[in-house]
Order: sequence, then C-alpha cells, then structure tokens
Amino acid sequence: MSDTLTQPDLEGDESEVVYVDDSPGFGGTLAIIFFAVLATLAVPLLTYLMLNAGFNFLADKDLPPWAIGLAAILVGTVGTFALFTIVDYAIKLLPHNIGERVRPYAWAGPAMVIVGIFLLYPAIDTVRISFMNATSTEYIGFENYVYVFTDPASLRSLRNTLGWVFIVPIVCVGIGLGFAVLADRLQRTESFAKSMIFLPMAISFIGAGIVWRFVYSFRIEGTGEQIGVLNAMWTSLGNAPVDWLRLAGWNNIFLMIVMVWLQTGFAMVILSAAIKGVPGDILEAARIDGATEIQVFWRVVVPSIMSSIVVVYTTMMIQALKVFDIVWVMTGGQAGTEVIAERMIRQMFTFRDFGRGAAVATFMFLAIVPIMILNIRRFREEEAQR
Amino acid sequence: MSATTPTTTEAETPTKLKPSKEGGVSNPATLWVIRIIVLAIVLIWLVPAIGLLITSLRDQAAITSSGWWTVFTSIGDFSQWTLDNYNQVLTSQGFDSAFINTMVVAVPATIMPITIATFAAYAFSWMEFRGRTAMFITIIGLMAVPLQVALIPLLKLYGGFDFDVSFLAPVYQFFINLNPNVDVSIETVRTGLTIDLNGKFLGLWLAHTGFGLPLAIYLLRNYIGSLPSELIESARIDGADHFATFTRLILPLSVPALASFAIFQFLWVFNDYLVALVFLSTNPGNDVLTIALNKLNGSNGESWYLLTAGAFISMIVPMIVFFSLQRFFVRGMTAGAVKG
Amino acid sequence: MRISRAIALGAVSAMLLAGCTTNVYEEGAFAGGGGGDAADAAGGGGGGGNEADNTGQVLVSGANTGVEGAALQEIYDTYVNEAQDDFTVTYSGSDGFEQEVILQIEGGTPPDVASFPQPGAVIEQAEQGNLVALEDLGYDIEELNSRFGEYLVSLGEYDGKHYGIPDLVNFKSAVWYNVPAFEEGGYETPETWDELIALSDQMVADGLTPWCLGTGSDAATGWPGTDWIEDITLRQAGVDDYDAWVNGELPFSSDSIKRSWELFGDIIFTDGYVLGGANNISGNDFRDAPDPMFQDPPQCMMHRQATFITNFFPGAGSDDELTAGEDYDFFPFPDIDGNSGALMAGQMLAIFRNAPEVKEYLDLYTAQEPQCALGTIAGISFISPRLDVGEDCYDNIIIAQAAGTLNEALNSGVARFDGSDLMPPEVGSGEFWNSMNNYTDSGPDNLDDVLASIDAAFGN
Repeated sequence: MSDTLTQPDLEGDESEVVYVDDSPGFGGTLAIIFFAVLATLAVPLLTYLMLNAGFNFLADKDLPPWAIGLAAILVGTVGTFALFTIVDYAIKLLPHNIGERVRPYAWAGPAMVIVGIFLLYPAIDTVRISFMNATSTEYIGFENYVYVFTDPASLRSLRNTLGWVFIVPIVCVGIGLGFAVLADRLQRTESFAKSMIFLPMAISFIGAGIVWRFVYSFRIEGTGEQIGVLNAMWTSLGNAPVDWLRLAGWNNIFLMIVMVWLQTGFAMVILSAAIKGVPGDILEAARIDGATEIQVFWRVVVPSIMSSIVVVYTTMMIQALKVFDIVWVMTGGQAGTEVIAERMIRQMFTFRDFGRGAAVATFMFLAIVPIMILNIRRFREEEAQR
Repeated sequence: MSATTPTTTEAETPTKLKPSKEGGVSNPATLWVIRIIVLAIVLIWLVPAIGLLITSLRDQAAITSSGWWTVFTSIGDFSQWTLDNYNQVLTSQGFDSAFINTMVVAVPATIMPITIATFAAYAFSWMEFRGRTAMFITIIGLMAVPLQVALIPLLKLYGGFDFDVSFLAPVYQFFINLNPNVDVSIETVRTGLTIDLNGKFLGLWLAHTGFGLPLAIYLLRNYIGSLPSELIESARIDGADHFATFTRLILPLSVPALASFAIFQFLWVFNDYLVALVFLSTNPGNDVLTIALNKLNGSNGESWYLLTAGAFISMIVPMIVFFSLQRFFVRGMTAGAVKG
Repeated sequence: MRISRAIALGAVSAMLLAGCTTNVYEEGAFAGGGGGDAADAAGGGGGGGNEADNTGQVLVSGANTGVEGAALQEIYDTYVNEAQDDFTVTYSGSDGFEQEVILQIEGGTPPDVASFPQPGAVIEQAEQGNLVALEDLGYDIEELNSRFGEYLVSLGEYDGKHYGIPDLVNFKSAVWYNVPAFEEGGYETPETWDELIALSDQMVADGLTPWCLGTGSDAATGWPGTDWIEDITLRQAGVDDYDAWVNGELPFSSDSIKRSWELFGDIIFTDGYVLGGANNISGNDFRDAPDPMFQDPPQCMMHRQATFITNFFPGAGSDDELTAGEDYDFFPFPDIDGNSGALMAGQMLAIFRNAPEVKEYLDLYTAQEPQCALGTIAGISFISPRLDVGEDCYDNIIIAQAAGTLNEALNSGVARFDGSDLMPPEVGSGEFWNSMNNYTDSGPDNLDDVLASIDAAFGN
C-alpha cells in the first residue's frame, strides 16, 4: 500500500496542482480529518433525517396512498442529489487546501457508510457467529468449520458451486458478447433482438420457476402427455421420459442453464453498450489494413472493451457464487445439487443452526478473495496507464 | 495510448460507424448469416417465455393435460383459451394497492443508489485520497455478501436501536440558551434520533440502496474511470471544479452506464420478494406486488397456474422501463471504454 | 485564521443537525407505521411491544396461502373483527413461512401469533425463550385438554409449560380409490394390511396396476414417502414405539422401525404394484400422482395421501369437478397386527406477544362456532382440532368422514402427529426425505445403509 497513514502527502498531488495553494500544517491535518468525518456522515445522516421527518409528517396527514407515494418518490429521489449539492457547497466555504482534501470523503464517504451498515457490519457479525453454537449462545471454536468440511452434503455443495463459478460466467459472457457483436450489425431489429435476450431478467423469480417447470417437467411413461418441452422432444425421438432434475450430475447442468437464461441479458446489455463505445475510426482503420471481421473482433473490439468484460465476468462469478433461488425452488439441493448459498439458508432457516450457516457464509466471503485480487491488479494497471 | 480525443469521437461516431457496418465489410450474405444466428438465439431464449405466455391463457385442466405447444395444432379450439387467470389476479384483493406500493418502493430504491454511487464512482476514478484503493476493494468484496445474512442484523438495527445522545446535553443546552424560543428537551432529540424503520418504506429504500450500491459503484467506476483523462483535465483547465465537471461533463457522458444500471436495479427491486417481506411484514397494509402474487399460490401450490398470469402482469412495467431506457444505449455513446 | 473559520462552519453544521431533529419532533415524529392508522399507533415501537398497551392490531402469520389464507381471513373478519371494536386481526400467509418467520423472530419483529406447521419448531422457539406460555396468558391447561384432547396439547409442552394451541388439522391416513372402477372389478375396501396386499395381488392378477405413488415435491421431494412409513409404524409398532421413534429414542435401524420400511418395500418393490415402478416414484410429482387413477381406463386403483389431495384431483375447482362419494372415495389406512391408528398433521398457534387483545383473538377464533364455520368454506380440507366440532360441521362429506375417523382416534388415543414434523428439522425436513428418495430410487438392497444415514443425522 502506497497510501500509508504516516505519509503526509497524498499520492496524486501533481494532478491537483491547480488547486493546491499551500500544504496544511498539523492543525490543518486535524481539520481535514474532522471535516472528512463530518462530510462522510453528512449525506447519509441528513438523508435519513430528511426522509424520516418527511415520512412521519406524511403519516400524520390523511392522504390517499398514491399521494404519499408520489411525495415520497420526490423526496427520495430529488432529495439525495440536493443533499450532495448542499454538502459540496459547504465544502467550498472551507479553506481551499482543506476543502480539496475533504471533498473526496464527502463524495465517496456516504457510499462507504451505507455499505458499512448494510453489508460490512452484517458480514463481520456473520463471521463472529460462525464460531458459535446453533443458537449463538456460546463460542465453540472451529467446530462449525470442521462440520462444513466433513459433512458430505456441504462438501458436495462446495464442489457444485465451483462448477457454477467456472461454467456459468463463461457461458453467459460468451453468449452475451457474441450476441451483442452480432446484433450490433443489425439495423432495425437490433433493439428488438436485444430486448428478447433481456426479457428473462424482467420475469419475476416465481414466474421463472414456472417457466422452467414446463421445460423440465417429467411424467411417468404412459400416464399422460409430457407437458415438459424437453421430455416431449426426447420421447418423440423414441426414448423413455427422463426426470431431468434428478438425473445425477446432469441435473446441475440443467440448473445452470436456467441461470444462463436469466443472466445472459445482463452481460449482453453491458457489453453491447461497451461495443458501441469503440470508436468507428479505429475499426475502419483495421479494416482498411486488411483485417478480417474475426481479426477485427479479437484484435480491436475485445481489447477495447476488456475492462467491461472483466467487470461483467467478475459480476457473473459473484452471482454464480451466490446462486440460491434457482436451486432452492427447483430441487432444494436434493439429488446432489447442493450449492453453498443453499446450504447456508438450509442450515440457518430450516435446520435453525446459525453457527453452521454462518460458517458456510464465511467460506463464501473467503472464496471471493481471488476475485478481489484480480480486480486490485486491474485497478492498479488502469491507474498506471492514465 | 489508443484513446482518441472524445470531442472528435462524439462528433464522428454517428456518421462514421453506420456506413462501416453496412458498407463494404458486411456483404448481404454475411448479413443473412448474422440474422439467422441472432434469430436462432432469440428463439431459443424465447421458447420458455412463450410457454409461459400460452400457459397463462389456458385453463387449469388444459395446462396439466397437454403440453403448451399443442395449442399450435389446435389453435381454433377456443374451449382451451381463457382470460380467467388474468381476471383472477387483477381482481384479487389488494392488487391495486400492492402495485402502488411496488412503485413507491422501486423508484426511490433505484435512484438513491445511483445518485450515491455516481458520486462515489467519480471520487474513486478522478480524485486522489487516502484509503481509496482499500475502500474500492472493500466495495468489490462486499458484493459477495449474500443479503440473507444481512437481514437479521439489519432487522435488529431497525427495530431497537437508540442513539444515546445524552452526552450532547451540554452542547444542546448551549444552543437552547442562544435561542430560547426553541422549546425542545434533550429527551425529544433522543426520540427524534431513535431508529424505527421496520414496516416503513424508508427502511426498505435504505436496504435496497445498501444492497445495490456495491454493484452500482463497481459498474459506474469502470465506466467513469475509462473516460479519457484529457477530457477531465481540459475541463479543469477551463476552470471547472469537480462539481461542475461532474454535473456538466460526467453525468451527460455516463447516461448509457447510468441507464443500464438503472434498469438492473429497478428490475431487482421490482421483482424482489425477500427484502420487502422481511422489512415490510410488520405492517400488513404494505404488501408489494411479489408478495401479493405469492399469496395467490395455494398452501400446497394448488393455484400455481395463477402465477403464470401474475408473472406476465408484473413483467409489463420492467419491460416498459427497459424499452424507454434502451434508446440511451444507442445514442450518444462516446468515449466509454476507449482505453484498453 | 482559516481553521477558526472551519470550526465555525462545523458549529453551523451541528446546529443544522439539531435543527433537523427539532423539526422531526414538531412535525409529529410519533406516528407509528407509515400509512397505517396513526391515531392509535402512538408510541408503537418495533419488536417486543408494550404489554399494557393495546396496539389495535393482531398480526397472525402462517403457511396457508391462496384459498386457505382467504378462508382464515374470512373467519377472522366475521368472528373476531366484527365481534369487538378494540382491535383488528390480520392474517398474512406465505409459501416460505417456515424460513421467513425465523428471520423475523431473530430480527426482533415476530408476528403476534404464528401458526407453525411443525410442533418441533414451537418447542424450539419455547426453548429459546421467544414464546409466551399459555399458562402465562391465563389459559387453563385442563380446559384445553378437554377441548383438544391431551395428546395434541402435549405436543406444545416444554419444561412444564405449554406453548402451542392446536389449529387446522389434516387427516393423513386416507387411501383414495376410484369408486366406479372398484365396483366394476367387484373389489371391497380392505380393513387389514393382509387384505390390502391380497387386494393388490388380485388387481395385478386382473391385469390392473393397484398403486399410484409419487413423492416428488420440488425441494421437498420425499415427504409423501415418509407419511407411508409413519402410517405403517403407527400400526405395526404401536403408539409407544412410534412416540419413542419420533423422540429419537428408538433408532431407524431398530428392528421395529426397519420392519415399517420392509412393509413399505413390499408395496413399492413388488412387480406390477406401482405405476411406473419404484424408481419413478421420486420423480412423480405428488400433485400429479393421483391423475392416472381417473383416466379412462383407470391406470391405477389406489392412492394414499392426506385429505388435501382432493384439491389436485382432475378438474378440481372447475365445473367438471369429480364428485366425492361417487367418482372417488377413501378408506382409512388399514390396520396392521390388529392395531389401528390415525396419522395427522396440523398447525400450532404460538404466541409472541402477551397482550389482552391477543388472548381475546385466540378465544374468539378457537371457539366452537368459528371452528365449525371453517368446514363450510369450499376448497378447505382442514379439520378443526376441537373435539366438539363434529362431522355435521363439514359440508364436504369426505372431510366429514375424515373428521369422524380422526376424532374417534383422538378419543381412543391412537391418533398421532406426522412424525417428520416432530423430529429435528435436520432429520424431518432433511435426511428422512433424502433417504426415502434413496430407498425408492435404488431398491430394497441398501436399506441398512439408508437407515444408518438417517440415524447419523439424528445423532444416534
């Protein structure tokens, strides 16, 4: 880390040379810390107070629900931006050299405070609980972790999740990127084609569960027509119907297909936007140099949108790591389809063992470390190139 | 460095990109191949959804006795078609208020995280400050936190958390002395600061904001950070401060990225069931659409066919949002992702 | 110089904060829930609540949704909300109730009353001190015993106190059959296990398939099979062994319990007994399983399932619904070794808030009249746990018959609660299901391994 606490000057002073008129002394540093903390807290606190006051005010009045709703929407949306504006204005009243050092905290701080409360604090609490017994009344050391690494179902969930994390992102990004590139060539139909890939994302999860029931549905031979698409096709080829979701090994793949169907729209939308940002003259130049379309794709388009690909890939990996509802609804982790998030919920809320559930969750947090390292590298590279 | 100056890109993109697509390189044969591939993928993607649509228009007996695709061979058999599923969902008790509630939840819960994340993404991209990398990495790491583990600590925080502000009493007394007209005791301040968010929309907005922020910051930082640095520097040389650069330059340029995140966050909040259930359930009048629809399904799932209609009804709003925001993906795409 | 300016600014912002809170108060910070009835919600906090205050609201949650959820609210409206002016009771049902209520309890926002489908969950909450004991709420247990029978009341007992009021019972020991097909074949409904086997053999000899059997249930696949084991155990091992077994005192691998699996195996693994064969049982959705019984010609003759299954019979709820008593009927699961019994499932009302209005709601709702009225709502297959709610309360003749059978069994002490709902969830909602699937999928030979793996999960 180059930005250690003892280092008096910040790394990027050169780039801010326009603003820096003098370097703050000891008192100045104290003031910076004071105002940085104040600025960090200002927006979240003010947002909360403003909205809370507004809500309480509205609750008192005898208004129809849609009117309360409309007012709430206005306060909630315009209000947040207004607060940032006010805080930034207040910072301008500060001495320049202090204000410039405080401002980043006013801008990035609110986000940190909110994720600190809503994600970081619960995550730390989860790690603590993972060392406690089922009802979180006493500490029991690493017992829960021993359980996670010896219980066959938990071990299967680790293996399966590894499969999800490797297979799903690559398929989603592959199809999403390919589709975005191809659709980019279409003129009038592009918007329609893209919206069809996006459509699954708009279906509520309850709906998606039913959608796929009509794909994988199984009926015993001779007891009526197959109402699942897959079995209808399979039996029309002369085969006996198959219960796809209980077909060992393959059932994991069938569940992954559901996630690919749901999530490719995400990859496609982001990558499509990135592709449209590749300047036309670069492509043109490559073509004039005699590059084939495939060469243009690999040598110009892909490198140009690499940062977006990494972002989408990272996001998809994390989504796959956290996959839960698909498995929960369709198989409940039975027939060898356990995944770690499903195990976590099962342990916590079905078996009511919070310690074991938290240990599974902690394992999940650890699994993200490699992904984070990859991103730190990328972040640094990008900064260096600037 | 492959970055071209954005001003020229901006001006040239619309005119230069189009001819290069149709002209010269993509001959009609290639174009047809592309069309067929795109169509094939679209069809594969649509099959399950078409199944859902057709199912939602059939009665229960037809749904369970024959595959949905059989309607194509017996399309004239009107006895199997029915709008009853839609009718039952739309007239179910509390459906209209659930719809309003969903909108009240979804709109602020989409815009609040975007606002906060855009400021943060700008700071992470174009400001230097102590702890920047650490903060950004923390944000990425927090994407891995499953929200299910966050619910219990947050419920506790929402329900029974009092700020102990008694230490502020002397300070408070000081201000009271300055302005005796304000007649408020320290006890009042304490009450005013007591958090009681369970069952309130505000609690849900904040929760969705918290859960949505990491991805929002991650995506937006990628986009805003890849805008050419020359652009930012030239704005500074012109005398614009950070706030002016942000509102006049960054925001307009980031519209595509903002729009795409807005779509995802809106979808997520609109279709969310668990978070709404957990934070609103103490107030029975506050059901959102997903919860109302879930209640239509019978205890043993005997009315699941109603959910097919429900799924289509609840899909309308997200699709409208997608189509209305989609135009931002095509127009005005400029300097984003220029850097490799 | 600059620093003093900065500090002055800090003071201003502090003032701003103070000003804000002042406004919060003056504009009425005390309103309770957003959009709710603000007038009587004064001071209504989050979890816990004040025992003395009447909050005007009683919130009941449970796993009943759809028609059942609507029926409960209807009963609440008629017999509770319209009967007094002090409070309103609201029912809130959810598919994911079992998981969600744990979230709410742990987060400090439990409902006032929760209707748990598993007595085991009630005991667990009592253990953790989250529940109000019925004694503390002013109940007389003797009176409850006479109202519901001692067995059901005892299921909610923990550490000398009682924590659950029996609610909405379901009769499980029913074997459904196609009446015209039985008449055509000249079959008689069996009363003993031997007769059942003889009947099955006869059907096979006549070229028919006796059984439709499906344990598929998405994430809960396997549970219908566990009901079979419980029904058999209750009869062949008797109530004492049954109780010892669900309490974990008698392992699955004991001879007594193992015999239940073997008897079940006699049904599922005998050639020609089960439509589609044993290895298709776990893939056959329990909701679709009875369908073939009503095809023309019927593809199977009998199906064992709880009374709610009539909601899934072909055409249920529509104009061409099958007629109970004419198209289908049931006979009670036959006796084994001369023992009869009745397997049931049901719910238990557990109380999270000690308040007069909660008690009043419970009194009004569990009274004879509303409980009897539940039997008049179409599409509801529940039986009231009250012993004085007789057969004549039920419009549906099937439910009436089931209620009669169940009441009789409760009175004679051979009615037992679904064992998997009484076992720890790791077993009852976990390994018991998995092992059941394992057994039906892989055949009779690995029974010992199957039983050993459940015992391991049970900690035996």
